Amino acid sequence: MSTRTNQTVNQTARFSILSQDQKQRIFEGMIATLRNTGVHLHHEQARELLKKHGALVDGVSVKIPQNLVLDALATVPPVTVIQSWDGTRKTLIEKNQVLFGPGPTPPNFTDPHTLERRKYVKADAAMVARICQALPNIGFVQSLGTISDVTVSLADVYEFAEMVQNTTKPILSWSYTRDTCSDIHRIAMAMAGGEDAFKQCPNYVFYGEPISPLLSDFHAMDKAMYCAEHGIPQVYTPCCIGGGTVPATHAGQLVCALSESMLGVVVAQLINPGTCVIMGGVQSIMDMQYSVYAYGAPELSLLSAGLTEMARYVGLPMFSTAGCTDTKILDPQGAIEAATSVHSAMLSGANFIHDVGYFESGMTGSVLQLVMADEQIGMSHVVAKGIEINEETLAVEEICNAGPGGNYADTGHTKKFAASHWQPTLMDRRSYEDWAGQGRKTMKDRVIEKTRDIIANFVGPISKVPADTKKQIADILQAAEVREAKKAETGNK
Amino acid sequence: MLEKTMLIKMNQQAYGTTKFQILTGDQIQQIYFAALDVLEISGARTFHKEALELFSNSDAVVSDTNRVRIPTAMVEQALGSCPSKSNLTGRNGKRSIKLQKNEVSFGSGADARFVYDRTSGERRKSTFADVEAAAKIVDYLPRLDFCMSHGLVSDAPNAKTYDRHQFLAMVKNCTKPLVVTSVDADGLKDQWEMACLIQGGEKEFRLSPLFATYIRSDSPLMGNSDTVAKLLFATEKGIPAIFTPCSVLGITAPASIAGVLVQNLADALFTVVLCCLKKPGMPLLLGGIQTVMSQAKETLSYGSPELHLTSAAMTEIYKWLGLLSSSAGGCTDAKVVDEQAASESVMSIYNNLMAGTNLVHQVGCLDGGLTGSLSSLVMCDEIIGMIKQIGKGIQVSDETLALDILKEVGPGGEFLSHDHTYDHWKEWFRPTIIDRSNFEAWSDAGSKTYNDRLEPEVDRILESHTPQPLDENIVQEMKKIINLADKKEV
Repeated sequence: MSTRTNQTVNQTARFSILSQDQKQRIFEGMIATLRNTGVHLHHEQARELLKKHGALVDGVSVKIPQNLVLDALATVPPVTVIQSWDGTRKTLIEKNQVLFGPGPTPPNFTDPHTLERRKYVKADAAMVARICQALPNIGFVQSLGTISDVTVSLADVYEFAEMVQNTTKPILSWSYTRDTCSDIHRIAMAMAGGEDAFKQCPNYVFYGEPISPLLSDFHAMDKAMYCAEHGIPQVYTPCCIGGGTVPATHAGQLVCALSESMLGVVVAQLINPGTCVIMGGVQSIMDMQYSVYAYGAPELSLLSAGLTEMARYVGLPMFSTAGCTDTKILDPQGAIEAATSVHSAMLSGANFIHDVGYFESGMTGSVLQLVMADEQIGMSHVVAKGIEINEETLAVEEICNAGPGGNYADTGHTKKFAASHWQPTLMDRRSYEDWAGQGRKTMKDRVIEKTRDIIANFVGPISKVPADTKKQIADILQAAEVREAKKAETGNK
Repeated sequence: MLEKTMLIKMNQQAYGTTKFQILTGDQIQQIYFAALDVLEISGARTFHKEALELFSNSDAVVSDTNRVRIPTAMVEQALGSCPSKSNLTGRNGKRSIKLQKNEVSFGSGADARFVYDRTSGERRKSTFADVEAAAKIVDYLPRLDFCMSHGLVSDAPNAKTYDRHQFLAMVKNCTKPLVVTSVDADGLKDQWEMACLIQGGEKEFRLSPLFATYIRSDSPLMGNSDTVAKLLFATEKGIPAIFTPCSVLGITAPASIAGVLVQNLADALFTVVLCCLKKPGMPLLLGGIQTVMSQAKETLSYGSPELHLTSAAMTEIYKWLGLLSSSAGGCTDAKVVDEQAASESVMSIYNNLMAGTNLVHQVGCLDGGLTGSLSSLVMCDEIIGMIKQIGKGIQVSDETLALDILKEVGPGGEFLSHDHTYDHWKEWFRPTIIDRSNFEAWSDAGSKTYNDRLEPEVDRILESHTPQPLDENIVQEMKKIINLADKKEV
C-alpha cells in the first residue's frame, strides 16, 4: 500500500481580511498613535505608574513609548482558564477558541411573554442566565439589560448575584465603580469556595470600557487596575463609532480601537505581569441617515473580523460582536443582520463574541433574538468546521460498490456519517402540506415557543449553590446596600 | 512647518478582498484523485446512443451494460480543453457577467412549480405572468446579475413546450443575461434560435452568449438521455451549460461530505469528457446541489448548512481544476419570507460569495425550491449587498489609516464634522429595507416589521419599473418559433 506525504490540511475553514503586511501597518499605526497622539487618562495613580516606566505625561495626556507596549505584549498569557464554580466546566481563553454570548446593559428588554418593550428587572437577570445555560451554542453569559428595580448604584452587583447562581457558563460582568467591582469579586470568591480557590482558577471575566477616541475615565481605569491587582481576567475594550468617535475609514478605526485597548493592557501588565487582558470591543459605523450606531451594519462584521486578526497578530484574546441587530422586533431584518455577523465572527475565530440578542442598536435586550441566533450559530459552525478528508470519508469503495445511480440508504457507512448531519431545532423542513396543516407557523412563532418552553421548564444549577454561599452573597449585598446608603447620605450633604 | 521626508514603503502585499478557504490544494487533490478512481474503477452509465458511440471510439471502456470507464489521461486531456473564461451578455449588449475565476454573479431560480401569492398568502401554480413579474424585478434589482426562470409556466398551451414561453417571458422583461431550462434538446434548440435572433446570429451568440442553459441530473453518474442530448447540443453550438448533479447525502450519495464531493466531481468530470469528445472548447459550468433530506425523508433541504458547505467546497474544487462553477444560493426551506428564509439565504449567499462561485442561482426560492417568491428576491438583493460589503475587505493606506487625522482630532474628539468622514462614509453599505431608526421614530412610523416594509417595495418595483422593450419585430419572429413548436408537439 502506498503512503501519502507532504500534506497540508485545513482542519477548519479559513477566513482572512488582512495580509501580514496590512496587519503590520495597522500595528505600526497603533505604536505611532500611542507615541505621538497619546491618550487622555483621568486617573492620577495610573498616570504616575506610566510616567515611572517612561511615558510622557502632561496633565491628563499620556504618550506611551513603544517599548512599554512591546514589554506589555511580551507578558500577556497565551492561555487563561476559567473554571465554573461547581467545577464541571472549563473554558479556555486562547487563540481561535470561539464562544458566543449575549451583551451587557441595554436599558430595555423585550418581555418574552407580552413581546412588549419594557424596563429590565432583577428577575430577568436570572432568566437570561438560565436561557444561556440551556442553549447549546451559547458559551458565556451577559445580562442583556440593566436592572431597574434595585438600588441604582448596585444594579451591577445584583445582576451578577442573580446570574452566577443560575449558570455554570462564564459570566462577563461589569460594574459602575471599584467598590461594586470588588463586591462582584467577593461574590465570585464565595462561589469558588474562597480566595485561594479563585486565585487558582477564576470563575468569571470582568468587562470594562474606555471611551473612544483615546480616552480613559477614572472609573474605567480604576476597575481595570482592581482586576489586574486581583488576577481577574478582564476585557478592556471601547465602542468605536466609525465616522463619529473614530475615522470613517476602517483601517483608521482599527488603529484607534487597538490603541485604546492597548492602554489597558500596558497598565494591567505593569501592575501584574501575566494577568489576562482581552482586547476588541464593538466596532461599527454611525448610520448617517438616522444618526444611530449601526449594530446590524455589514461594516460591524468586517471591522470585528479585522480587529480579531489584529488581536491574533499581537497575541491578545479578542472580545468581538455579533448576533445583534438594529431591528426593534423579532423579524427577518434581525435574522439577516444576526446571521451575517454570526458567521463572520465565527469564521474570524474571536474568543468572546458578545451582544448576541441585542435589538435596536443595543438599546433593547431580547432573549428571542438570542434563541434564534443560537440556531444560526449551529448552522454557521457546520460550515466553519470544514470538511474531513480521509480514505473513509472519501468513500471511493462505497461509490464504486453502489455504482452509477446507486443507492446508499441504510449502509453502514451512511448510518455512521448521517448521524453527524446537523439537525435543526427551529428551521422547518417539512413539506408545505404538513406545514400548512400544522398551523402555518413562521420561525418567529417557533422561536417564541422554544423560548417560553425554556423559561417554563429548564432548571438551572441554582439548587447546587450551598446554603452558606447563599448566605455569604446575601451578606455581601447587605454590606453594599449599607455602603451605598452612606455614600448617598454624604453626597446629599 | 516640518518638511516631510519622502517615504517609500516596499515589499507590501495586501488582500484585495476578503479571503476564504474550506479546503487546501492538497485536500482538493485527494478528492480529485478519488474521483478519477471512481471513473476508472466504476465509471458512469449512459444509454444515449451518440454518447455511447463517442465513448466507444475513444480510449474509454464501454461495457455491455453501457457502463463507461474512463482513463485519467482522457479526463486530463478534456480538462485542458475547457476555456478558462467565458461571458454572458444581456440583450442590452452589456457583457455583464464575466465567467472567469473568482468572479461571482447572482440570479433568480428556478422552475418553481408554485409561486407565493402575495395577495392570498397561499401558494398557487406558477404562470406566464409570474415569470414575467419575476423577470421584471430581476431587471430592476441592482445586485441580481442574471435572470433564471423563477417558475414554470402552467398556463402554456402545451406542457411539452412551456419552456419557449418561459424564455419569452424572461427575455421580454429582463435585459440582463439569462439562465434557461429546457424540456428537452428541441426546446433548447428553439430557445437558442430565439436568442440568436436577439444577439444577431449564431457566431455572435458564440462570442456573446445571451444565456446559459441549466442542465440538472438527478441520478448520480447516470448520463440520462435527455440530459446528454441537451449537453451535446449546447456543446455543438457553444452555449454555456451549467451541469448540475443533484445528490442526497446518504440516499443517492455517500453520507460523508467528502464522499459526496467525490461522487459529484466524478459526475462532472464524466460530463467534461463527454463534451470534449463531442467538440473541445465547450464553456461548461459545473454545479451541484448536494444536500440532506428532512428527517421524515419527504423534502430535499435547500437551506441546510451541509448544502452551504458542499457548495463552497465544490466551487473550490472547480476553481482548482480551472473550471467554471455554479451553485444554489439565496434559497430556503421556509414556506414564507420569515426569519428562517432570512437566515438560510444569508448563509448560502455568504459562503458562495466568499468561495467565488461564478453563477449563484436559485435566489428567491422558498419551500426547498418548490415555491418562488418575489419578496424573497427583493430581500436577497439587500442581503447580497451586505455580504459583498464584507467581501470587499479592508483597505490599508496612509489615507485610510488616517493617523494625521487622528492626531488632529485627538483624544476625546469627534470625527463627524471632519472632511475625512465626509469623503469616506459613502463607501459604507446603505440599506434599503433594513431600518436603523430609533425606537421612537420607528413607533411613530407605525412600528413596521421588515415584511411590512418589504411588500410595498415589491409593489413599487412592479408598478414603476419598465424594462427596456424588446424590438417588436424580434418578438414576432420569436412567436413564430414558439407557435411552430406548440403545434408540432401537440
